[in-house]
Amino acid sequence: MHSRMVAILLKETRELLRDPLYLGLALGIPLLQMVLFGFGLTADVKHVRVGVVDHDRSPYSRDYLDALVHSEYFDFVGLARDPAEADGWLRSGKARVVIDIPPTFARDLAARRPASIGVNVDGVFPTFAEIIVGYVTAVNALYNQQLVTTTFGSRAIRMTPPVSLNVSIWYNPSLESKNFIVPGMIVILMLIFPALLGALLITREKEAGTIFNLYASPARRIDILLGKAAPYVAVAFLDYLLIFTMSVWLFHVRFVGSFGLLSAGALLYAVCTVGTGILISTLVRTQLAAMLIAFLATVTPAFQLSGFLAPVASQDPIGRIAGALIPATYFMDLARGSYLKGLGLDVYWPDLAALALFAVAVYALAWSRLRKRIG
Amino acid sequence: MRRRLASMVRKEFAQLLRDVPILVVLLWAFGGAIYLQGHAASTEIHNYPVVILDLSRSAASRELIARLHAPYFKIVGYVGSDRELVAALDLARASVGIVIPAEFERDVVAGHGGFQVISDGTLATSATIAVAHLSTITAEYNQFLVERAAVAAGGTIAAIPTVDARIRVAYNPNQTSAWFSSILELLNMTTMVSMLLTAAAVVREKERGTLDQLLVTPLRSVELFSAKIIPTLVLVLVLSFLSLVGIIRGAFGTPVRGSLVLFYLVTALYVFAVANLGIAMAVMVRNVAQVMMLLILILFPMLFLSGARFPPETMEPWLRYLSLISPMRYYIDFGYQVLFKGNGFAYVWHDVVGMAVIGAVTFGFSIIRFRRLFHR
Repeated sequence: MHSRMVAILLKETRELLRDPLYLGLALGIPLLQMVLFGFGLTADVKHVRVGVVDHDRSPYSRDYLDALVHSEYFDFVGLARDPAEADGWLRSGKARVVIDIPPTFARDLAARRPASIGVNVDGVFPTFAEIIVGYVTAVNALYNQQLVTTTFGSRAIRMTPPVSLNVSIWYNPSLESKNFIVPGMIVILMLIFPALLGALLITREKEAGTIFNLYASPARRIDILLGKAAPYVAVAFLDYLLIFTMSVWLFHVRFVGSFGLLSAGALLYAVCTVGTGILISTLVRTQLAAMLIAFLATVTPAFQLSGFLAPVASQDPIGRIAGALIPATYFMDLARGSYLKGLGLDVYWPDLAALALFAVAVYALAWSRLRKRIG
Repeated sequence: MRRRLASMVRKEFAQLLRDVPILVVLLWAFGGAIYLQGHAASTEIHNYPVVILDLSRSAASRELIARLHAPYFKIVGYVGSDRELVAALDLARASVGIVIPAEFERDVVAGHGGFQVISDGTLATSATIAVAHLSTITAEYNQFLVERAAVAAGGTIAAIPTVDARIRVAYNPNQTSAWFSSILELLNMTTMVSMLLTAAAVVREKERGTLDQLLVTPLRSVELFSAKIIPTLVLVLVLSFLSLVGIIRGAFGTPVRGSLVLFYLVTALYVFAVANLGIAMAVMVRNVAQVMMLLILILFPMLFLSGARFPPETMEPWLRYLSLISPMRYYIDFGYQVLFKGNGFAYVWHDVVGMAVIGAVTFGFSIIRFRRLFHR
C-alpha cells in the first residue's frame, strides 16, 4: 500500500527533476520577486506632494505652513496663484493635498478669533488619503495646542498641555515596513506558486491520457493524491527555507520567534496550497482552465482577505468570513507573529489547527472528485 | 481575407464559449470577485481595534475614552490587568492598548496628566496613522481642558485663537473603500484575463499541434494573430462594462464621473497591449507549464507595481522607474482619473501615450515572433 504511494512519489519527483528549467523557475522566480519587492517596496508614506494657496501671505500663515511643509512627510510642490490652479494640481495628481489659507487668517488669529483653512485631499487612494488626513490633523492640532498655551501662557495659567500621551510601539518598534511586508510576501508567494504548480498535476495526466494508467493501476486515490502532492510540497518548503534565509540575512527583517514553529506552519501551509491546486486540477479537464482558475482564485484573496495590508479585526463581516475560509489568513497571523512577536505554540496552535483542518478538507474534496472511472 | 478572418474568429469564439469552466471563471472574475473585493479589508484605519485598561475610572478618563470612537477607532474591550492587555495585543484581538493610570484625574487637574499608548507596530503604516489620530485626539482634549480652565478663570471661549482645518476628501468624501477596491479589482481582472486568455489561446494550439495545421491553411499570420486577440478583446470589454454598471455602480453605488466612451476606447488599447504580451509569451514556450512560469514572472510584478496598493511615492526610486515599463501602471492611473475624478483626455494623454508605446513594442515583438513560426 505504501509502496504504491512511494512509487507515484518517485515518478513525480523524477519528472520534476527531469525538467531542470521548470524546477529552476519554480525555485527561482519566488526568490527573484522577493528581492524585487523586499528591496523596492517600502509602504512608508513620505514625500506626499502638497500644494498651497496662500491668500494671506503673513507671518502667521508662513508659520503655519512651515510646520506642515517642513516635515519629512510632505514635499512642497509650489504656491498656486489661485484656487483654480490648485484644483488643477489635485486633478492631475501633481499635488495629493492642497492647503488653502484665506486672506483673513492673520487678522483672525491676531484678534484671537478662530480662523479656518481649507484642506483638500485627493481621495482616490483611500489609504493614502487617510494618512494625509491623519498627518494634517495631527500637525493642526499640535499647532492649536501651541497657540492656546502661548496665548494663555502670558496670563500664566499654564505653559504645558495638561495631558501628554506616551506612545510605545511593540513588536516592530522601528515601524519599518519591511518587517511586515517581507513576512507577508512569504505568505503570498507560498500561496500562489504551489497552487499554480498543483493545478497542473492531474490535468496534465488527463490531457496526455496517462490518467488512465493511474485509473487502471492498483494505486488508490489517496496514494495518487499524496504521491503527487509530496514532491511539490517539498519544492514549496524549499522555497520557504530560501526566502526565510534571505529575509533574515539579506533584508535583516526582525525575527524573534521560533524557527521550528514557523517551519511547522510553513509545511502545513504548503500542504494546503498544493492541495488547493490539486483540488482545482480534479475539477476541470484542461491545464489551461486549471491555470486560469488558480490564477484568479488565489491572487486576489491573498492580497485582500488575508490581512496583508490591514488588520483582520477591522474588516467588515463578509470580508471576515471570506478571510476565515482561506489558509493564508492563518499563516499570515502565524508568520507575522513568529517574525515580530515571538510567541509560542500556546498562542498559535489555533492557526496550526485551522491549517490542518483546511488540509484535511481540501484533500478530502479532491479525493471525492478524483473518481477512478471513466466518464 | 475578410471571410477567412471571420471564420477564424468564429472558431475562436466557439472554442472559448464551449469551455464551461473558463466561462464560469470569467463570470466569477468580473462578478463575484469584484463583489467580494468591495467587501474585503479596507486598508485604511476604520474601526481600528482598541483595548483599554482604565485604572483611573474617573470623569477625566471617561472624557478621554469618549473621544475614541468611530469611524477611526472601535473599543473591542476593557481589561482589568496588564496581563489581559498584553494578551489582547499578542493575540491580535486589538491593535492598540491604552493604559490610563490610577492617578490620571488628579494629575490632569495638576496639569501633568499622562496616559500610555501601546501600539502594535506589525502593520507599520496602519500603526503610524493610528498614532497620528491618537495625538490629534490628545491635542483636542488638551485644548478642551485649557478652554474649560480659561472659562472657569473668567475668560471667554471667543477669545481663544484656533485654526480649524476644514478637511475635504475630494472624490470620495467618506473614504468608502468599496469604491476604490471594486474599481481596482475590475482593472486587475481586465489585466489578468486579457493576458491569460490570449496566452492560453495560442499555447493550446501549440500543445495540441493544431498550430501546424493552421500554418498550412491559406490563413495569413496577421489574420491568425488578429483572430487570437479579437475574442478576448470583445469578451473583456463586454464583461467589464456589465461589471462596471451592474456591480461597481449598481451594488456599491460608486460614482462613475468620467466618459465611458473614453474609458472603453483606451481600455481596448490596453487590452490589445496586454494581449500582445500574452501572445509574445505563448510563442516563446512549448507548453502550459512553461507559459505559466512566464505569466507569473511578468504578471505578478505588474500587479504589485501598478501603483494602486503601493502608491509610486512609497517605492524606491529605481523600482518606480522600473514600474514604468508595465502597461498596468498607466492603466491604473488612467482608470481612476477617468472613472473616479471624471478627468478628460487632457489629463490622461500621457497615460494613453505610455500604453500606446508599450502596445506598439509588444505588438511588434509578438508579430515578429509569430511570423517566424510561419517561416520555419
